[in-house]
Amino acid sequence: MTLFFLQNVAFDVPGRRLIDGLSLTIAAGAVTALVGRNGSGKSTLLKLIAGQTRPSAGRICHLGRDLADYPARDRARQIAYLPQVPPPAEGMKLAELVALGRYPWRGALGRFRPEDHDAVARAMARCGVEAMADRLVDSLSGGERQRGWIAMMLAQGAATLLLDEPTSALDVAHQVEVLALLRQMCHETGLSAVIVLHDVNMAARFCDRVVALEGGRLLLEGPMTELMTPGALSRVYGLPMHVAGRGGHAYALPE
Amino acid sequence: MTRWLILAAIAALSLWALAAFAALPLAQWPALPWHPEALTVPQILLTHGLMPRGVVALLAGACLGLAGALMQAVLRNPLADPTTLGTSSGAQLALVAATIFAPGLLAEGALPVALAGAAAVTLPVLALGARRGFAPVTVTLAGMLAGMLTAAIATTLTLSQGHYLLSLVIWNGGALTQQDWGGVHRLALALVPALALAALLARPLMVLSLGSEGAQGLGLRLAPLRLGTILLAVWLSALVSAELGMVGFVGLAAPAMARALGARTIRTRLLISALTGALVLSLADGTLLALAAAGGPVLPTGALTGLIGGPLLLWLLPRMAAQVPQATESGAREVHRSAGPGRVLVCLALLLMTCSVLTLFGGRGPEGWGFIAPALQAEFLPLRATAIVAALSAGALLAGSGALLQRLTANPMAAPEVLGVTGGAALGYAVAVFTLPQPTALALALGTAAGGALALAALSRHALRADLAPARLLLAGLAIGALATAVLGAIMASDDRRAWQILGWLAGSAAQVTPEGAAALAALALALLATLVAASRWLEILPLGPAVGRALGLPMTSLRLGLILTAGLATGAATLLVGPVSFVGLMAPHLARALGLARAVPFVAGSWLIGALLMVLAAFGARTASFPYDLPLGLVATLIGAPWLFLTLMRKSPA
Repeated sequence: MTLFFLQNVAFDVPGRRLIDGLSLTIAAGAVTALVGRNGSGKSTLLKLIAGQTRPSAGRICHLGRDLADYPARDRARQIAYLPQVPPPAEGMKLAELVALGRYPWRGALGRFRPEDHDAVARAMARCGVEAMADRLVDSLSGGERQRGWIAMMLAQGAATLLLDEPTSALDVAHQVEVLALLRQMCHETGLSAVIVLHDVNMAARFCDRVVALEGGRLLLEGPMTELMTPGALSRVYGLPMHVAGRGGHAYALPE
Repeated sequence: MTRWLILAAIAALSLWALAAFAALPLAQWPALPWHPEALTVPQILLTHGLMPRGVVALLAGACLGLAGALMQAVLRNPLADPTTLGTSSGAQLALVAATIFAPGLLAEGALPVALAGAAAVTLPVLALGARRGFAPVTVTLAGMLAGMLTAAIATTLTLSQGHYLLSLVIWNGGALTQQDWGGVHRLALALVPALALAALLARPLMVLSLGSEGAQGLGLRLAPLRLGTILLAVWLSALVSAELGMVGFVGLAAPAMARALGARTIRTRLLISALTGALVLSLADGTLLALAAAGGPVLPTGALTGLIGGPLLLWLLPRMAAQVPQATESGAREVHRSAGPGRVLVCLALLLMTCSVLTLFGGRGPEGWGFIAPALQAEFLPLRATAIVAALSAGALLAGSGALLQRLTANPMAAPEVLGVTGGAALGYAVAVFTLPQPTALALALGTAAGGALALAALSRHALRADLAPARLLLAGLAIGALATAVLGAIMASDDRRAWQILGWLAGSAAQVTPEGAAALAALALALLATLVAASRWLEILPLGPAVGRALGLPMTSLRLGLILTAGLATGAATLLVGPVSFVGLMAPHLARALGLARAVPFVAGSWLIGALLMVLAAFGARTASFPYDLPLGLVATLIGAPWLFLTLMRKSPA
């Protein structure tokens, strides 16, 4: 099934074209890694499919429906997005942050119903942050805070999760923890995720499919194994790489 | 960039030349060297008036531009300018006070007095800054507080001693008139070493632009650099204040223009800011000179810099890279949350009721302090109740808008008067006073509301086009406010009796409110509270920024517009009563936060209650402090609130 369908999408900022005539299909029910060099348009593409910005030209469809036709709250029930640097949440407790994820369902005035409390509790349990419910978000460690924000996305109840470099500020243990959590959720509950990732080995370990960009154009789309070849990697990163395998997982090292 | 600068220079020179040739044809210009005894009077006016005036405009503009660029670089905040440290207001207050209490001090010239005043206000600000490692938000906030306080005191002195102070009103407007080359010498002697020092500071400031942690990582010692840079900027702006008066906005506009013209490194930015500052002030002065030469009115130049600078800034804003002011810097704020926000709110409400009742019955009469005699109650209580309800409602409205704006922009410095609404409202009032032969209260109210609405409309139109990034919104509001202030300054300096009516209203008073007016204000205040509580879920999400807001499905554009309109209307209504001194709107949300009210509902409700409480106390103070005369309400609010807020800032643990 098709999660996102992009047709001739372009995005301009004054003086520069960041996404250039991109046509692309992203599969549903999988964890898709969005890779490419710095400035290749990964984050821009993620913002476009998250509905954060409108494309200058072309069409973006989510599950067969044009993204431009979604009212804002409908979109938020379908698509959850986590920006690259989660903003400081001054004076907010973790449980309150997670509860904000129910806004798309209840709006500004709707009362919280039992299912909302359930959704918040389940999301926190899923991400293992129940113990920190009463801690202030800004007092948590980087990994805990990141899991809290992911819990908010889960509470949102969206079937599509979009994350912009969720592991960039984390140590390797927390990187594995966050990515394994996302992968497990997608495989167990049928969610789809698109994750911008810098670390090609983390992408290979935890993602099913890959979309590679260069200069705002599509370089490669397919199963993860298609990226993990010396030829593809050198095209994406412009760097000769060794690829080795161990226990069914491929990993790459610069030569 | 060069092309624009050259064009501006040519325009400034032509304007000056136009005025100079109108004053004296070129054929009659004296040859060098000049000997005053051999010159005719028009020749002396040229060589000792117009010529030094042209040069002074360039030099003072350069000083202000450089000072602004230094402040913005060191505070890493595009809204900073010399006035945000309270320097200009300090100089103004010192001169006002000296004129009234010790005119002998001014015999030596205004410079020492103004410098002393500037230093006396800037010193506590810097002391507070030092305790916090000069964290940008703290320094700017403290400076703004000090500036507002001193400006309020100066306004009161001006009001109470009106017959002395016409020259001060003109000085407040920033007059560039020169009688000799002394001003040129003093400013030039200051500017040259200042430029050299700025060149030395450029590289450390570039490192500082990485943020304080990054800069410390590169081995930069922050405190001396920040202190030195701020002192240099303060000295420059104090000098200009002493020499010419309040020439505002150049220090804010020049660095913004330098950035927009593509000055990228700190070194070029400092240099280009000095250049653009010189050209802006020169253009403003040249325009006034040409206007006067063509038979127009003679206006102070400082009143005009806002006229040029405001629209220019509005024009530049969409061309500027998005620059968000430093919302927080580590150590600048410790998160404190009250365990029982409900209890705090109940206490605040009880306190508000107690104070209202006490000030209703208690007070100062001809026999001294005490409660009002039963025989007089029927006559006086309704009057007092009206004033108290009006003050309470105005305070709640201002504080509610302030809380709303701070949530909306995630910027602790957002306040109703930053929106420019109060300035626009003041302008509307002034227009009503001047255009109608016998303005009624209704006409004045309509004029004020129309002015506020126009300012708001201009802001919203601009804000919608530029997608409403918080920093741009604040800058646009400042530009509109400065425009209004400039026009008001020109009106004040026009030597018209009606100016005093406006000056009195500017300081605010609750004494003339009708019962109907007070009831309307109270209804509005309650409506605002209801709106804020209804919108609390939005107010919870908005501080997390536009990306999270959009991701959660908030209709960002219409929501921001609606909230700004709400804040603007509430501010406009309150401005009618208390005048445009909306200090309460900045202060009440801060106090609410200091009491540990962090979540949206307790925060807005707490701010609302604190604002009401502050204004009740202010109204009481205004009524009793100089019995039987009423003091301006806005002034007393400032006098109560500013020291309190200052102490709150001081008490928090240092970084």
